[in-house]
Amino acid sequence: MTQAPPRAAARSYRERPVGLAQTDAAVDGAVLVLHSVTKTYPNGNTALRDVELVVPEGDFVFLVGPSGAGKSTLIKLLIRDEVATDGAVILDGQDVARLTRRQIPRIRRKIGIIFQDFKLLPTKTVWENVAFALEVTGTPRRQIAPAVDRVLSLVGLAAQAQQLPSQLSGGEQQRTAIARALVHDPRLVIADEPTGNLDPLISWEIIQLLLRINGLGVTVLMATHNAEIVTALRKRVVALEDGRIIRDEIGAAYHRED
Amino acid sequence: MISFVGFSLKRAWLGFWRNSVMSLAATATMIFMLVLLSGFFVILTGLNAGLQFVEQKVQIVADVRKTAPDLAIMSLRDRTAALPEVASIEYVDPTEALRRFRERLAQQGREDLTQYLDSNPLPGSIEVKLKDPHVFGNVVQFLRADPAVERVQEVQTLIDRVLTVTNLLRTGGLVVLGLVGIVVLFIIINTIRLAVVARAEEIEIMRLVGASDAFIRWPFIFEGALVGLLGAMITLGLMALAADPLGRVMTGFFEVLPLQLGSLGRDLTVLVLGTGVGLGVVGSWVSVRSYLLK
Repeated sequence: MTQAPPRAAARSYRERPVGLAQTDAAVDGAVLVLHSVTKTYPNGNTALRDVELVVPEGDFVFLVGPSGAGKSTLIKLLIRDEVATDGAVILDGQDVARLTRRQIPRIRRKIGIIFQDFKLLPTKTVWENVAFALEVTGTPRRQIAPAVDRVLSLVGLAAQAQQLPSQLSGGEQQRTAIARALVHDPRLVIADEPTGNLDPLISWEIIQLLLRINGLGVTVLMATHNAEIVTALRKRVVALEDGRIIRDEIGAAYHRED
Repeated sequence: MISFVGFSLKRAWLGFWRNSVMSLAATATMIFMLVLLSGFFVILTGLNAGLQFVEQKVQIVADVRKTAPDLAIMSLRDRTAALPEVASIEYVDPTEALRRFRERLAQQGREDLTQYLDSNPLPGSIEVKLKDPHVFGNVVQFLRADPAVERVQEVQTLIDRVLTVTNLLRTGGLVVLGLVGIVVLFIIINTIRLAVVARAEEIEIMRLVGASDAFIRWPFIFEGALVGLLGAMITLGLMALAADPLGRVMTGFFEVLPLQLGSLGRDLTVLVLGTGVGLGVVGSWVSVRSYLLK
């Protein structure tokens, strides 16, 4: 289960032969574009400096870097929890800084987000937790049940639908959270340390699930400290340090390999 | 729209019972505070009624000349009664004045010397009760100008003193009620805030999955209104139960004063319901707002 794909030499993302990186064509087809993004908090801390990032549709990107490197800030900018001090964050063709208050919830429905601590409601069953995401966005009742059943079987939790989160293992709780993230048919899934609270075997299970979702055409951006997984999978790796992107390579390992 | 309201009401109801400890704590606080508020309101109403009674005792007395013909006096009485400021008017003729004087002496246990008099020395007088004791100038001037009037007893000082005292008490009562109201406001808003903070995670999840502000806000506002409504109804129930025994105790005291408390029950219901539901809604609104503004 843990075998890595055959090792290939890492290439810098910007040297990609197809030239996807900074061309307009790439920007047009990208789910996510960050252009010279800087974020300075009111207390003077600069969390991100001049960040350039293009994520094409269907990509699988690992976001790595030490704590405090700016990963969380980056994610907050994507879900419009924070606004960039400078530069543009373009999600699915829309500049998130220019959204009105009414538009913000709509853009968030295009993103499925998964956290280290699952963020499930303890008083609701698995089924209700997933259905909740649809109810609170005003989805008509008759559309809710089929959608919830579909994503629960996708993550393999159809049998546990009526259990409470407290009756589930950590892996099952995270799969519930993934189901909730998927129920809106998002363009992009953001996973913030999704394996942080899970043991290695279960972590691999979650990664397999995310890969399967990526295989269905959903773009995945995963922030992680899990070097083993990142190195084994040889996906695109974006490394942040001190608020700057210091590395953006395809088929890369967790640590720089020079 | 209907499904949105239905959804919000359902979520409010479920939210209330799923966090029953917090909800009941908020409701209990609401009840205590509303009882406190109603208590002060009842006291203030009683005080006001008492003060009004005292103020009504203030009257303008105009002594009439002994030489004035009865016709002129009657005419003066009728013309005075037609003034807009006048509530009621009474003409006390000299005979009646003497009778009252004797009565007063008898009450004080003093010897009645008037029996040695050949004739009645007391003048007749017109006694005017005012609708509003603050507005007496016109009536006094009107009476003074009439040739049938000998003199108008100096009432200004008396009226001023009475009004100073009653105004002071009234303002004091309102200030206390206002202070109690502010305390109630803060305590209730804070309690509801705690109930909302207990659900911060739920709000966060709602935001993350893309719920619009209205979908986040309204269930909490309905829940706040529910807390307010429940608290208000229990408070009114308690007041209704207490009204009878309390009333019996108070009757002895209030009997002396012809108090008009007819609208008190209605005012109190409006006050308690309005304050309860209003504060529930405002408290929720303010508490949820701080999460939405992020």
